[in-house]
Amino acid sequence: MSLFLASFGFGLVTAAVLAIAAVGFTMQFAVTDVLNLAYGAVMIASAFVAYALNQAGVNVWVALLAAAAAGAVGSVLLNQGIYTPFQRRGTAPITLVIVSLGMTLIIEFGLQAIVGGTSVSYTMSQGPTVRAGGLVLTAVQFVIIGLAVVVMAAVHGLLRYTKLGKAMRATSANRSLARNCGIRTNRIVTVTWAITGALCGIAGTVFAINNGSFGATSADLFLVVILAAVFLGGPGSAYGAMLGAVIIGLATEISAAYITPSYKDVIAFLVLLIMMAVRPGGLLGAAVQ
Amino acid sequence: MTTAQLYYLLNLLIYAGVDIIACLGLSQQFGVAGVTNFGFIIFQAAGAYTAAILSLPGDSANGGFQSYIGGWNLPFPVPWIGAAIVGGLIALPFTFLVGRRLRGDFAAVGLLVTAVMFNLLVTNYRPFLNGSAGLSLVPAPLQGEYDPQGAGYQWAYAAIALVLAAGAFWLVQRVTESPYGRSLRAMRDNDIVADSLGKNLVALRTSVLVLGGALAGLSGAILVSYITTWSPGAWGYAETIVLFAAVIIGGGGSHRGAVLGAILVPVGFEEATRYIPTFGPPGFVDDLQWVAIGLLVVIFLWFRPQGILPERRRIIGATAPSFKIPNEDVVTLAGPVRAPRAAEAPNPGRPATAPASRANTADPVVLRAVDLVRDFGGVHAVAGVSIEVRRGTLTGLIGPNGAGKSTLLAMLAGTLPVTSGHVVYQGTDVTGRPAYRRARLGLVRTFQLASEFKRLTVMENLLSAVPDNRGDSLAGALRGRRYWRRDEEAAIARARALLERFGLSGYADTYGGDLSGGQRRLTEIMRALMTEPAMLLLDEPMAGVHPRLARQIGAQLLDLCAEGMTILMVEHELAIMDEFCDPVIMMAEGTVLATGTMTDLRARADVVEAYLVG
Repeated sequence: MSLFLASFGFGLVTAAVLAIAAVGFTMQFAVTDVLNLAYGAVMIASAFVAYALNQAGVNVWVALLAAAAAGAVGSVLLNQGIYTPFQRRGTAPITLVIVSLGMTLIIEFGLQAIVGGTSVSYTMSQGPTVRAGGLVLTAVQFVIIGLAVVVMAAVHGLLRYTKLGKAMRATSANRSLARNCGIRTNRIVTVTWAITGALCGIAGTVFAINNGSFGATSADLFLVVILAAVFLGGPGSAYGAMLGAVIIGLATEISAAYITPSYKDVIAFLVLLIMMAVRPGGLLGAAVQ
Repeated sequence: MTTAQLYYLLNLLIYAGVDIIACLGLSQQFGVAGVTNFGFIIFQAAGAYTAAILSLPGDSANGGFQSYIGGWNLPFPVPWIGAAIVGGLIALPFTFLVGRRLRGDFAAVGLLVTAVMFNLLVTNYRPFLNGSAGLSLVPAPLQGEYDPQGAGYQWAYAAIALVLAAGAFWLVQRVTESPYGRSLRAMRDNDIVADSLGKNLVALRTSVLVLGGALAGLSGAILVSYITTWSPGAWGYAETIVLFAAVIIGGGGSHRGAVLGAILVPVGFEEATRYIPTFGPPGFVDDLQWVAIGLLVVIFLWFRPQGILPERRRIIGATAPSFKIPNEDVVTLAGPVRAPRAAEAPNPGRPATAPASRANTADPVVLRAVDLVRDFGGVHAVAGVSIEVRRGTLTGLIGPNGAGKSTLLAMLAGTLPVTSGHVVYQGTDVTGRPAYRRARLGLVRTFQLASEFKRLTVMENLLSAVPDNRGDSLAGALRGRRYWRRDEEAAIARARALLERFGLSGYADTYGGDLSGGQRRLTEIMRALMTEPAMLLLDEPMAGVHPRLARQIGAQLLDLCAEGMTILMVEHELAIMDEFCDPVIMMAEGTVLATGTMTDLRARADVVEAYLVG
């Protein structure tokens, strides 16, 4: 029982990191129609921005805000400079995916050329061990879970109760119709890249915190786990991504405890492939026509 | 030349052979068939591992420092053949990813995930293929008889690699220049339309995964027998991106482009620059190399998406046209047009399947919809429609925008699944059958939006629709031109006759994507006729067409009906309906409001209110 609780606790932490990342990714896809595989690269680049500040003596939780800003700025630039020009030309979605893979190489290895190939860690305290409801986690892990809950609540509030959120949903459903209804879709798209880029930056930093150490290419595998959570929930569905993150996070950590840690990501990918075979639209997505 | 230089040169030649074979395989999938296989590298890895465990002795033979399955110690060339077979067959469990249900970019993600998952499995499960350390001491071919380090052996190895690369080139050329290759390219340009013309997308994609996979497997075998080691580090997904970069830069869909890309990117960029002097911190040059590959991909996709050596245009049709080609949409139709039939252009390759012989003449109703419903979210786009279309009629379907006409047509053709209800075609319930199978029964649709295959010529657009060509399968294509030439010539003759009648002979070799709006509509109608349909479902065939040409098209459609064809046509232009269509079905808000002649409809107040006035 304690093994289960321990792995459940780790699962919640993984799910928390994953949820922040997956919600950002899926909203980016929903509103802008770009399956941006450079998301992981932007995550880790943002984590390095936080690392630079952290090295200069700034507290890592403050640096997290800078990483969010860096992720937002970087994502907007990525869209304005690369994706939007391609989309204006009528480039096929699959070609954009290849472009995003090219951008992944450029960002990741450009970063690695600057920071070097060795892994680094933030200077920070893990805080005291906290027991709550049978879970035993460090204070930092609880903060990550709390942060994820706050972010999810904020996303929910944004989509459900604000005019911006409604405009984002309308743009996602039908961009040209939304434009004809007087929504400034170009602005909505840019704002979406900023918001999801901020989520991406936050996710990169908490991923790096949770991982302990990280390097320029550390997010490669995690990106695939994000994809698993996104497609499990239904691509484009924010609530689906949250659900997918919880399922994948718990499934990977609990299987790691009971089977072996080596295969925890394999479990996530198997879940995704089965989902694609059985219900391509995901748990909460519409059935693909 | 020193010995070291010679060995280095031979080394590059062998890598060139390996990469050319791999790039030809990927180009076949990605460039020709439009299957974006982000998992391509696992096919090469499967071939390499297969060749290794087929040629290695049992794992106890080398002191047990590595463990693996197999170890059959088989003589050359069995391991290489085995590698090609396994590389081809490993695709089969993943065909669900390339079916009709998954968007192309989602399928690509699925294949990427598959590649990463396989790599993790092999890395972590050591008894299978020695885990992360990988296999080493893989025997070189015939190493008992010859010295693998000798110059003669190295020369021979390079020669074999290049000969196999040439063989691969010949193979993909044979496949791509066949009717089957044309179907692959049609699918690449527009898979939904190819489906509606009777192409089995799953079978096409599966076969191209198998073919490309076999080539990848062979390339892996040549590589592993040369470098004698193979480990999970050799096939991360970055390696796949390198091959994609090669195909994009060389020219997708062009075999010469694939060869050039292989020489430029994996060989020239990766291998040759391995020997330039390093500068900066450790790994700095490697990092910049990856950045450069990323930049090359993005820059090429922006400035030259067709690559350095683009796919070439296939010239088939240009038999000097006998009259001046009209340059505008307003083309004159040459005389009364009848459907070119199998009887006119006999096709000895197969039994005649003219519409009349397909028809069940006892039943005057060709197509029947029973309580068809289609919901999108909460919206009832079609809410319980029952119609009957009788043989030999040109039935019109009108209604205001959003009435559900196109949705109804898509359900009848099988492009869109029904929410509930039934479609009965010539006495058979076809509700559960996919679009391509309905098309093969003679129920063929056209599309409201332009749907020509853009990178096929007009002639190829027409030929792509011909059913039952002997060369329209991988097996048929591999048997060569002699096997399918007669079918092809018959099809070309039919296509020429159609082009002549529709006044588009001069455009036979023009790309579909370069046509004007009206020419596209004509091409689409001709293409549908090439399938020898018993029943046509036309979605606004005259939209954007000059009124004069529209009337001529209408007259031809009537001719076709007089010969026994049945047509259901969506059209907004009421004058066309008045002149050609009887009966006319009127839809509004997802239901049938009325059916009858236009005169009847004009007499009904509710119809006039719903559409004719407002």
